[in-house]
Amino acid sequence: MAKYPQLNGVFQALADPTRRAVLGRLGQGPASISELAKPFDMALPSFMKHIHFLEESGWIQTRKEGRVRTCVIEKKSFAVVDAWLSEQRDIWESRTDRLEHFVTTTHEKEQEQ
Amino acid sequence: MNSATHPDLDLTISRIISAPRSVVWGAWTDRASFEQWWVPAPAVCKVLEMDLRPGGSLLTQISENGGEFMPHMKGCFLAIDEHERIVFTNSLVGGWRPAEEPFMTAIITLTDHPEGTEYFANVMHRNTADRNMHEEMGFYDGWGTVTTQLAKLAEQQAL
Repeated sequence: MAKYPQLNGVFQALADPTRRAVLGRLGQGPASISELAKPFDMALPSFMKHIHFLEESGWIQTRKEGRVRTCVIEKKSFAVVDAWLSEQRDIWESRTDRLEHFVTTTHEKEQEQ
Repeated sequence: MNSATHPDLDLTISRIISAPRSVVWGAWTDRASFEQWWVPAPAVCKVLEMDLRPGGSLLTQISENGGEFMPHMKGCFLAIDEHERIVFTNSLVGGWRPAEEPFMTAIITLTDHPEGTEYFANVMHRNTADRNMHEEMGFYDGWGTVTTQLAKLAEQQAL
């Protein structure tokens, strides 16, 4: 897992209902902080902690235009999760290939003897 | 939460191997044999501990490009059913002690097949988010689906 330092953050970001709701909303399109915060009964500093967590873990990007900060969902995070899983698949597929090769060649030699 | 909850975090690999179960079992459980296939050449694998019993340690090292041996797999066997099944995890180390960086449990199953042995590996990966996520966001089928659906939303938005 060492090659994917950001992976823990990616998963951890999703472990919180507020952050998941924010991502769910951002899946429909960019939104301002105040728009995102509206459904939550939460002080703005607390809400901003969630926004920062999502930004640092790579789930969203924010940009400021005038006095409005807008959040957009970041597609790279999906790629990180997918890349890690497909790497695990490759490792196990080729491991099984090698086991099969080892077993069949050993077995053939034993039968010849 | 059972493993069926997260089909996309589980890898399943099924292979028919043209050799009897006892031979496949031997390739897995004999240290020298195991070292021959566990890592891809030219890397070299060294088994330091392979204590084939529940709670027993599985400890391997790897040397890449002829360099010094570095830690590779550090885990604990959970079940050993002679010629049938091996279950191990890296969530624990030898003696069932909790591991520092857990992320998977593997179940290796061998069954008889007309052409030899059916080798089945089910590798389950951890999910650090809680299961409520699926219901709250309306995603039910595990991580791959979650990410695919979110990605789709993101792509639609990018258009």
